[in-house]
Amino acid sequence: MRALLAALLAAASAATACELPGGAVQKIQSGKVLVLYRTNPAPLKVGQHFVLEFAVCPAPESVRVDAQMPEHRHGMNYRPTITGSGEGPYKAEGLMLHMAGRWELVFEVRSKDAVERVTQTIRLE
Amino acid sequence: MKGACLLLVLVSASALAASFTDEEVRKIQSHGPWPAPWSRDPSNRVSGNANATDLGERLFFERRLSVNGDISCSRCHLPERNWSDGLPRAVGIAEVDRNAPSVVNVRYHHWFGWDGAHDSLWAQSINPILDARELGMSAASVARFIRGDRDLSCRYRNTFGAAPGADDEKVLVDAAKALAAFQETLVSGSTAFDDFRDALARGDGAAMARYPENAQRGLKLFVGKGACSVCHTGPAFTNGEFHDTGIPFFLRRGEADPGRYGGIKKVLSDRMNLLGPYNDDPKRSTAVRTQHVSLEHRNFGEFKVPSLRNLESSMPYMHNGSLASLRDVVKHYSEISPDRLHSDGEAILKPLHLSDGETADLIAFLQTLSDRGGQYQRRPFPEDCR
Repeated sequence: MRALLAALLAAASAATACELPGGAVQKIQSGKVLVLYRTNPAPLKVGQHFVLEFAVCPAPESVRVDAQMPEHRHGMNYRPTITGSGEGPYKAEGLMLHMAGRWELVFEVRSKDAVERVTQTIRLE
Repeated sequence: MKGACLLLVLVSASALAASFTDEEVRKIQSHGPWPAPWSRDPSNRVSGNANATDLGERLFFERRLSVNGDISCSRCHLPERNWSDGLPRAVGIAEVDRNAPSVVNVRYHHWFGWDGAHDSLWAQSINPILDARELGMSAASVARFIRGDRDLSCRYRNTFGAAPGADDEKVLVDAAKALAAFQETLVSGSTAFDDFRDALARGDGAAMARYPENAQRGLKLFVGKGACSVCHTGPAFTNGEFHDTGIPFFLRRGEADPGRYGGIKKVLSDRMNLLGPYNDDPKRSTAVRTQHVSLEHRNFGEFKVPSLRNLESSMPYMHNGSLASLRDVVKHYSEISPDRLHSDGEAILKPLHLSDGETADLIAFLQTLSDRGGQYQRRPFPEDCR
């Protein structure tokens, strides 16, 4: 019970420490990993390049960003470049969703002992 | 917003042969308004410049811009054929491997050519000038021609602020930028579809009712069951990207057209790309695609999604001109075999199994994407440049 309480407190502490300065932030939690992000521009449009600003907690060793259309079995036609370190903020540039439909935005978060795929569904018309 | 969309559907329902859902109405709205807003190309310092447009128009129809003095850009891009040529594969000095794409509405594109081997209209314009099968010129012969022609040399000076200099490559690139400035002005007019789309937006039932019923049903197929609008997006009806649509890409025995795979390799190694020294925009604001484009195995055999505007007059269709009519194109997608697509390619295309009636409706809709013509009138060229 005491261990569980300690774990909950630690998780809560990580969550409250995690921040992405600026407004309009989306949150995705997967396992122990919390990702905060926003896109510029927002909302996203088909065929328009966008910048992704994000923070990752706890601080990973590395993070990759990608987007895929699971039903169409393909990803983007462009490979983003990412700058930033630690918990962030990070900036990914060069992303573009080139078709209408359901996309899955994927943060591949690599830490010392695991790789966590944090995903968010985006629907474009 | 939801209320507004619902209202549109309710207002329109009595005027429509086909009923449209909220989602379909939003998709229809996304194909306009037309013409889409136009902006000058920051990578081309003479984009939107009247002198450049004039010089470019002259060069476009100039037969002396070919190695045999007999072929101009307009050989394959005829105004009366929607700026294409009606042939399966274009023929300059010799036949090339692909269909001549229309140059109408090119200002709205980001990649140029069926394989996107160029990232600006001016870089694309250099390609046919130098290709031995098209105009067959060299930078030196283009520069020599412009320097030696009193009228063109004068117009070059009026456009670029100085007479053509000794740097042949620079004169070639400038000539291509003038050609681009002219081609950017070629924008198709509004269509019966645009009238319907605009009427739908303002809830004008009487105007909507003027749109043919079979075209309405075809439009519903286009944005619905056919999923055509997944790739043919936006006001120009193209997402400007590349897909494998099951069209054979073998050229000759043992030789294949690599399509986008070759295009990406070419554009990244091209000195004339937007990352190179001839981009006039110091901020490289339009170079983001070139900076981030990713070469994947699946790009092999992918070709650019063409705009559907003025489709009816740009037959034959597809990158190799292998489909002669709109009926052939619709039949292709209706009967497409997933086995003909790359095993590691997209899983979007499935046979639509359209009935005869649905086929006719879809064609009727596609025919309403053509304008009423008469957008371009070639001007007489006075020879009094000073």
